[in-house]
Amino acid sequence: MSNSTIDRAAQATPPAMAQRVKGFSDRTIAWIFVAPTILILLAINIFPLIWTIYLSFTNFRVNRPNNEVEWVGLKNYQRILGDSDVWMTMQATAHFLIWTIVLQVLIGFVLAYLINKKFRGNDLWTTIIVFPMMLSPAVVGNFWTFLYQPQIGLFNYVVSFFTGVDPASFSMIGEVDLAPWAIVIVDTWMWTPFVMLICLAGLRSIPDSIYEAAECDRATKWRQFWTITIPMILPFLMLAVLFRGIENFKMFDLVVQLTGGGPGNTTTLTSIDLKREAFEKWRTGYSSAYAVILFVTVFGLASIYVKALNRVKQR
Amino acid sequence: MAEVIVDNISKSFDGHKALDGVSLNIPDGSFVVLLGPTGAGKTTVLRMVSGLDKPDRGDVSIGGYSMQGLTPAQRNIAMVFQQYSLYPHLTVRENLAFPLKSPMLKTKAADIKRMVNDVAEVLQISHKLDNKATALSGGEMQRVSIGRALVRRPSIYLMDEPLSSLDAKLRADLRIELKSIQSNSNATFLYVTHDQIEAMTMATHVGVLDQGKLVQFDSPKDLYENPVSVYAASRLGQPRINILPADLFAGAPQGADKIGLRPEQIIQGQGVASTVTRVEHLGDQTRLHLSLASHDLVTVTDPYTRLKAGDALKITPHQPFYFGIDGSRIQ
Repeated sequence: MSNSTIDRAAQATPPAMAQRVKGFSDRTIAWIFVAPTILILLAINIFPLIWTIYLSFTNFRVNRPNNEVEWVGLKNYQRILGDSDVWMTMQATAHFLIWTIVLQVLIGFVLAYLINKKFRGNDLWTTIIVFPMMLSPAVVGNFWTFLYQPQIGLFNYVVSFFTGVDPASFSMIGEVDLAPWAIVIVDTWMWTPFVMLICLAGLRSIPDSIYEAAECDRATKWRQFWTITIPMILPFLMLAVLFRGIENFKMFDLVVQLTGGGPGNTTTLTSIDLKREAFEKWRTGYSSAYAVILFVTVFGLASIYVKALNRVKQR
Repeated sequence: MAEVIVDNISKSFDGHKALDGVSLNIPDGSFVVLLGPTGAGKTTVLRMVSGLDKPDRGDVSIGGYSMQGLTPAQRNIAMVFQQYSLYPHLTVRENLAFPLKSPMLKTKAADIKRMVNDVAEVLQISHKLDNKATALSGGEMQRVSIGRALVRRPSIYLMDEPLSSLDAKLRADLRIELKSIQSNSNATFLYVTHDQIEAMTMATHVGVLDQGKLVQFDSPKDLYENPVSVYAASRLGQPRINILPADLFAGAPQGADKIGLRPEQIIQGQGVASTVTRVEHLGDQTRLHLSLASHDLVTVTDPYTRLKAGDALKITPHQPFYFGIDGSRIQ
C-alpha cells in the first residue's frame, strides 16, 4: 500500500452517491425529485379542471350539498350558448379586449419610440410613465370613479375644457353608451406603460449600426422604419398583445371597482358574469360549463397566437 | 468615382481627442489604406467621410464639393462595417438588393437581379442567396456585407476591417478580388485595417495614424523604404524592424538615439559579434533570433542555414535608419 498523495486523496473521498443509495436507479431518483411538484400540480390544477368538466354536465349546487346530483348531459352548454345575456357579456368582453389592445399597442409603441430618442431626462420620464402600472387595480378603479365624477371629476373637466361640453352633462360610468369606453380608458391608462416597456426593450435590441448601414444604403427614415424597426420589433409587439389579451380576458378587479358591471349589463365582462353565476346564484354545474367554455376559448386563441408568434420570431 | 479631400479634421468624444488635425488627399481611383493600432482613429476618419459623424473642425469634400451638413445618403458613399450590420430579417438576396432599391435610383428589377447575382458570384455566396442573413457563418455575413457595398457604384467605398473575421484562405482570395475590382472599375477605396499584408498588397497609398494624428502618407513602397519615425517604421515589415540603441554600431550620425534595422539591412558574417539564441525554420526562410550586448533582434537567413542556437554570428548594419530621441527619423 503506497502512501502517495493521490492514494490518500482517493481514500478521503466518500463513496459515490449512487453506490450508497443502492437500489435506486437514476430514473427513480429523478422521479423522487419531480414528484412533489407533480403532486401539487395534480392537486390544485389538473384535478379541479377535471372535476369542473364533470360538474359541467350536472345540476350540482354547492350551497345545497345534500341535494341529489343529476347528470344533465349537454343541457348546461345549450343554455349558456343559447342565452342572449351571455352573448351580451361576450360582446362587452370583445369590445374591451380589442380596444384596450389596439390603444395600448399604438400608444405604447409611440411612447417607446419617443422615449428611445436620446434626450435629456428620458430615464426620469420612463419612471413617471411607468407609475400607473405600479398601483393596485382596486386603487386605480376607486380613484377613477372620482375622476369620472360629473360635478367634481377632473376627467369631465378636462373634456369640457377642450370641447366646451358642460362637464355635468355626461357621466362616463353612469351612461350605457359611455361606460364601455370608461373601462377601456382606465385600463389603457394603467397598462400602456407595460406595452411601452416591452416595445422599449425591442427598440433597444436593434443595434445602431443597422440604422447606420441603412443610412449609407440611402434608405429614407420612412423606409428604415418600415424595413428595419417594424419587422424587428414585431415579435415584441405580438408578445405584448398576448400578455395584455390574456390579462384582460380575466379582467375583474378594476372593472368591478369602477362600474360594478353596470349600468345595466353594459360592462359585465365574462369573468364578472361567471363569478355571479358561481358565487352569488350558486349555480355550480351551470357556471362550471361556463368556465369550460371560456377555458377552451382562451386556450384555443392563445395556442393559435403562439404558433403565429413563433413563426414571426423565426423569420 | 471622385477625389476625396479630408481637410484638417478634428474630433473629440467626451473630452478624448479621437482625431487631431488630420488631412488626407485621396486621389480619384486610388486605394488608400489607413493603418494603425486600435484607437488610432482609423474608424473615426471613415465615419467622418461617410457623414455618420460630424467633425468638430475641418471639412470633407468629395468630387470637389464640400460635404458639410450632408447625410450619408446625400454623399453617395458605400460603407462596409466591421460588425457586419446586415438586415437580420431579410435574406441574403434582399440584403444585397437593399441599396439598389433606393427610390433615388429607380433600378429595374431585372438589373437588380443581375447585379446581385454578379456580386454574389464574386464573393462566393451564390449558394446562400436565399438564406436568412442570421443563418450564416461570420465569414459569410462579412462577405454579404462587402457585397452590399459592391453592388453600387458610389463616389467612394469605405471599408472598416472587412476581412478581419475571415479565415486565411478566403482572406487571401478576397484581397486579390477586392484589388482587381478596384483596379478594373477604377473605384476609389478608403480602407481601414491593422493587417500590414492587406496594406502592402492592395494600397496605392498608406496613411499611418497614431493617436488621432496622421504621421505619414505615402505609397507602401515609400513607407517601407523611407519611414518618417520609429512608429511609422514599425507598421510594416515581417519580422518587425529591430530598434536598438544607436551606439551599438559605429557610424551613427549626430543626435541619433536609436538605430532601426530591417532584416535586409543586416549583413551577416562581418562586424560586431552576436549570439544566436533561437532558429525558426519557416520553410521559405529561416528566422534568426540574435542577442547582441543583451539586446534581442530578429533577422532572416536562407532556409538551409546550418546555424543553431549558441552559435556566434557577426553582423553589421547596411544603410540603416537612424532616429532621434523623439522617435523621428534622422537622415
